[in-house]
Amino acid sequence: MNNLLKDAIKQRYLYSMAVPGIVFLVVFSYIPLAGHVLAFKNFQISRGIWGSSWAGWNNFRFFFSGRDWIQVTVNTVILNALFIVFEMAFALLIALFLNEIRLKWFKRTVQSVVFLPYFISWVVVGYMAFVLFNNTDGLVNHALRSVGLRDVDWYQTPWVWPFILTVTRIWKNAGYLSIILLAAIAGLSVDYYESARLDGATRFQQMRFITLPLLKPQLIILVLLGVGRIFYGDFGMIYGIVGDNGILFPTTDVIDTYSYRALRQLGDFSMSSAIVLYQSVMGLAAVISFNAIVRRIDKDSRLF
Amino acid sequence: MIRSATPETTARSRRRPFRSEKAAAAGIGLFLIVFALACLFPFWLMVINSFAVAKSLALHGYAVFPSGFTLQSYRFLLQGKQLFLSYGVTASATVLGTAAGLAVTALFAYVLAHPKNRYGGFLSFMTYVPMIFGSGLVGFYLLVVRWLHLKDTLWALVLPYVMNPFYAFIFVSFYRSLPYELNESATVDGANEWVVFFKIIRPISTPVIATIGLFYALQYWNDWWLSLLFIDNSDLYPLQLLLRQLMSQMDLASLNHGNVLTLPPSEGVKLATVCLTIGPIIFVYPFIQKYFVKGLTLGSVKG
Repeated sequence: MNNLLKDAIKQRYLYSMAVPGIVFLVVFSYIPLAGHVLAFKNFQISRGIWGSSWAGWNNFRFFFSGRDWIQVTVNTVILNALFIVFEMAFALLIALFLNEIRLKWFKRTVQSVVFLPYFISWVVVGYMAFVLFNNTDGLVNHALRSVGLRDVDWYQTPWVWPFILTVTRIWKNAGYLSIILLAAIAGLSVDYYESARLDGATRFQQMRFITLPLLKPQLIILVLLGVGRIFYGDFGMIYGIVGDNGILFPTTDVIDTYSYRALRQLGDFSMSSAIVLYQSVMGLAAVISFNAIVRRIDKDSRLF
Repeated sequence: MIRSATPETTARSRRRPFRSEKAAAAGIGLFLIVFALACLFPFWLMVINSFAVAKSLALHGYAVFPSGFTLQSYRFLLQGKQLFLSYGVTASATVLGTAAGLAVTALFAYVLAHPKNRYGGFLSFMTYVPMIFGSGLVGFYLLVVRWLHLKDTLWALVLPYVMNPFYAFIFVSFYRSLPYELNESATVDGANEWVVFFKIIRPISTPVIATIGLFYALQYWNDWWLSLLFIDNSDLYPLQLLLRQLMSQMDLASLNHGNVLTLPPSEGVKLATVCLTIGPIIFVYPFIQKYFVKGLTLGSVKG
C-alpha cells in the first residue's frame, strides 16, 4: 500500500491526466446506480431517495403480477434476435459481394451509399417510415391502390411491425456492419485464394470455402456482442418510429420504452426503477452466459 | 510450384470460364445496385417532397415525382426564429461535446495505456463495468435533474456523453501500438507526462483523434434522448427534438413564435425540417467518410 502511494506521488503528473475521466465516470455511470435503491422504495419527490419509505419487494410484485412484463421482455428479445440475425446476414452478403467487385469506382460508390443511412438519426428514420407507411398519404398504400389492392392501415396493424422494424434496421445498419466485415476480409491472406484458383475453384467456391470459414471468428464476436445486449431495447429506434402509438405496443413495446413511459409519463419513479433493475440483472446474466459461451468457442475473444 | 502464380496464368489455367460465373457476377452487381438504390430512396422522397407544392401534397400525398416546385416550406421555416434557435443548440452541443469528449477520453486513455500506470487493471475494470451493468434510467434522471440541476440547460445535452468507455478503449489500442521509446526519451529529458502528451503523443495521434471526434460529433448531432428527457423549454430544443415535436402533431404556430400569417401545409414544413437537419451531414459526408471507415477498421482489430 505504501508503495502504491509513493508511486502515486511520483507519477502525479501521469495520474492527474486521468482525473477528468474518472470524475465523469463516477458522476454519470456510478452515482446513478444509487437510483436502483428506488426499486425498493415508495418514492416521493418531496422526500427524496433516502427520506421515502421502504417498499420491500412490492414494486416488483406489482410489476410481475401484470402481463406487461412478459410482453415487453418477449418483444425486446424477439426484436433484438431478428435484428441481429438479419442485419448480420445482409451485412455479410454485402461484404462478400463487394469483395468480388473489381470495378473500383463501382465498389467505392456502393460502399459510400450503403453506409449513408448510418449517419441519420432515428427521428428522421421515423419520419421516413411515416412517409412510406402512413394510412392515407403513404407511398406504400399508394402503390397498393394503384395495382388494385386494398390498402393497409399499417399504423393500426401490430403484427407487421416486427418486419418493418427489421427492414429499417437492415437499411440503417447493414452497410455499416458490412464495412467492418469488409475490413476483416481485406486482412485475410491471399495465399489461400491463389492456391484455390490454381485448383480451379470458382468465385463462389472461394467465397463459400475460404472467406466464410475465415470470417467466422469476426461473425461470432459481432453476433455475441449483440446477444450480450439482448435485454436492452433500442430506445431511440423504437420510440423514434413507433412513438406513443399504443395500438402497436403488443409487438413493439420494449423494456426501455416501457420504463421510459413509467418515468416520464406516469411519473412513477419506483416502478420505473424496478423495471430497470430487472433489466440490468437480466442483462448481466446474459453477458455472463455469453462470455461463458465465447470462452468455449474462442478463448481469446472472451471479455473476462 | 514451378511457375509463379500471377493472376493471368491462374486465369488461363482454369478449365474454361463458366457461363454460370458470368451470371453470378451479374447477380451480385444487381443485388448491390438494388440495395444501394433502396438506401437512397427515402432520402430522395424527403428532399423532393419538401419542394412539392401544397396542393400536390394534399391531393396525392407523398410522391416519387410530385408535381410543382416551391420554396414555400423553407421560406416559412426561415422566417421563424425556432429553426435558428434549434440549429444553435445542436451546433453548440456538438462543438462543446466533441471538444470535451476528445480531451477527456484521450487523456484518460493515455493513462490507461501507460506502462508505468500501476492502477491500470483497476481503471480498466472501472471503465468496463458501466458497459456491462446498466446504471439505470431513474438514477440518471434524478442525477441530472435533482442533484446537478441541469434541466433545461445546454449542459444536460453535453455532459452525459463526454466520457465514452468504448472510444476510450479505441484510444488505448492506438496508444499501445506506439513504440514506448517515443515518450521514454522525452521523460529522460525531464519532461513531465503532460508535456510528453501534448508535444509528442497528441501530434502523432491526429488520425485517431479525427476519427473519434467524428464519432462524437455524429452522436451529439443525432441525439434526441437527452433532450427528450431534460429539455422542456422550446428555446432549447435541438434540431432532432424539434423534428420529433413537429411529428407528434405539435402546434406549428406556437413553435414558430406566432408566425401564423401564411400557414403552409404542415407536412411540407416537416419535410423541410428533415432536410435542413440532415443537410449538413449529407454535405460533409463525402469528405469525412474515409475517417469513419478507418475508425471502424481500427476498432475491429481488437475485436
